[in-house]
Amino acid sequence: MAYVATRGGEQAIEQAERLFRAEMGEITPERVAEIKTALPYLIDRVMGEASLYDEDLAALALAQAGGDLYEAVLLLRAWRTTQPRLHVARPIEQVTLFTHRRISAAFKDIPGGQVLGPTLDYSHRIIATDVLEGARYVPAPVTPSATPAPAHQPSVAAWQAENDLVEMPGFDETAPEDIPDVTREPVLFPATRAHRLQSLARADTGATLALGYAAMRGYGQAHPTVNELRLCEAEIIVTHPKGTAFSAGRVKVSQAEVVSKKGDTLELGFAATLGWNEVKCISAATLDLNSKGAPKGSPTEEEFYLYHTEGVESSGFCIHFKLPHYVTFQSSLDAMRSAKKTGTTAEKTSPSKEPAQ
Amino acid sequence: MSVTPQSLKTLSRAWEPMSYGFLDASAKREIRRKMIKAVAVPGCQMPYASREVPMARGWGTGGLQVSLTLIHPNMRIKVIDQGADDSVNAASIRHFLARVSGAPTTLDTLQADLIQSRHRIPEEKLNEAQILVLQVPNPEPLRPVQPNMSIARQMHADADYGRMWLQLYEQIVRSGRVMQGASYPSMVNGRHVMTPSPIPRWDVPKLNMAQHLTILSAGREKRIFAVPPYTRVEPLVFDDVPYKVEEHHDLTCSRSGAKGFFMNEIPQEDGSSAYELSDSGFGVKHIQQSTGDAVTFGKTWYENGEMAE
Repeated sequence: MAYVATRGGEQAIEQAERLFRAEMGEITPERVAEIKTALPYLIDRVMGEASLYDEDLAALALAQAGGDLYEAVLLLRAWRTTQPRLHVARPIEQVTLFTHRRISAAFKDIPGGQVLGPTLDYSHRIIATDVLEGARYVPAPVTPSATPAPAHQPSVAAWQAENDLVEMPGFDETAPEDIPDVTREPVLFPATRAHRLQSLARADTGATLALGYAAMRGYGQAHPTVNELRLCEAEIIVTHPKGTAFSAGRVKVSQAEVVSKKGDTLELGFAATLGWNEVKCISAATLDLNSKGAPKGSPTEEEFYLYHTEGVESSGFCIHFKLPHYVTFQSSLDAMRSAKKTGTTAEKTSPSKEPAQ
Repeated sequence: MSVTPQSLKTLSRAWEPMSYGFLDASAKREIRRKMIKAVAVPGCQMPYASREVPMARGWGTGGLQVSLTLIHPNMRIKVIDQGADDSVNAASIRHFLARVSGAPTTLDTLQADLIQSRHRIPEEKLNEAQILVLQVPNPEPLRPVQPNMSIARQMHADADYGRMWLQLYEQIVRSGRVMQGASYPSMVNGRHVMTPSPIPRWDVPKLNMAQHLTILSAGREKRIFAVPPYTRVEPLVFDDVPYKVEEHHDLTCSRSGAKGFFMNEIPQEDGSSAYELSDSGFGVKHIQQSTGDAVTFGKTWYENGEMAE
């Protein structure tokens, strides 16, 4: 008898993927290019969570995953991790950032000025149904300012430090190539500051918001004030083996600095990520601000939020529950039946925790 | 005499979109080092970077990274999920391993050099030349009593397992027996308590003083641990409450007629249950034998439904 046990499974998974792709049609360079130009903020979010700055790859990943964000990020992460780390770029200082938008909620005006830049913050969220009726939605042209805002801006925290209002973290002497890299080594706790900020930089936006929001609502010790929020471009300066430093290009970055108003000095929380993603930066900075002294197991404790905002891991584990679990289930069933049979089960007590399977 | 001018092109290998076995050399080197550490301190969890692989976390990415590191073109691979070779995810992992390595695959435990498994140990005994890679969802046996990993790590360092014992004791008081289903916490080499991964209790004794090397790897949680050959693995039990495996000793497989092995329970329309061997490769052998095919059976851990000495 020709009994081929594997045929069913292999055919099924092949056809299941075909079914997933059946309605989406061809993925063409044109489709990828259209995604890239039409959805820059989605591209930014995906690049940030993938910790891979490449707009074309991000657009391709979105096309290939049919817009499933977790799948797109995993595609990029799995590609990224196999690529060699060739070089460590020069550290970037705030004053060198080419700034598009920079606001502070802490002061009415700040040295360098409030620069609104591109934002939907004050738009009226009315959906343009006309487009579905055949009209075109043509964005009105921007009128350039008579006196453009300076491209480089000082940091608000630097001014506060000068005025003894905030305690700035000490200068980190670690050589660039010795900075711990979260993509090459596991996070252990207490985490290094580098690991914490890297981990937040590539955290899932939604998860970061959920835990950050919990802290903002009162499950944290500190209520944040947005000291400074920036959307900018950073010059990536690398050094040629011959010693020449040159720019390898610019990447879009966003960063947020939040402060608490407790005590006699301000405490600082910080976060930055690749791409422009304000919600994530403010939430992540809030978590950073709240981690000091956070009780074990609270949403603002470093171990808690770093583990639970890791999107590739959390989404993967969530969908793994679709896998068959009948062996482990059988094992528990056996214990339950035998306990029932012996009839010694005490009155219903609170259910004990099940281990993950 | 002409000298070929040296350039990056002549000095380096041609660019390829993917390394042999998918993982790049630096990732493999790290995993090799962590595996050696894990073998040196049996049952102790070694943190590792755990790179992303082209499969979702929680789907065997830890086991996959170990397999990808160990794999070579002459290594015969078997992949099972809950005991079955034909389970969709096992099929997917086997296909991926073969695709990126060119390694041959098999469904026969005896033919396999490396077995990647989710939650079962095959019924036929493994030998010194074979490696078993177990996928691990949660590497921390202390998680139910201590969800915080940094505290749990300290507890392992202190061999502070009092709360583990207390938990087992409470189960006996409440339910008259230890209620732990799969992932039965076990003491390795008399020092570290580990989770054997969610294998059924039936399979835990197979690890004790086994001839083969077992590597357990949790991709999402970034921990590798190991049971080297001929290492003690003892389920945590009280002297007066013996360890109990699932009561499958007397069950008979409805498809192959085999008896005395771990079974899957298949609910029937009439309210009763039928059973089939959970180890599908082993089941296929029984079916093949009954139809007159020549098959070779290995020695099994269990004989007549009891763990053989």
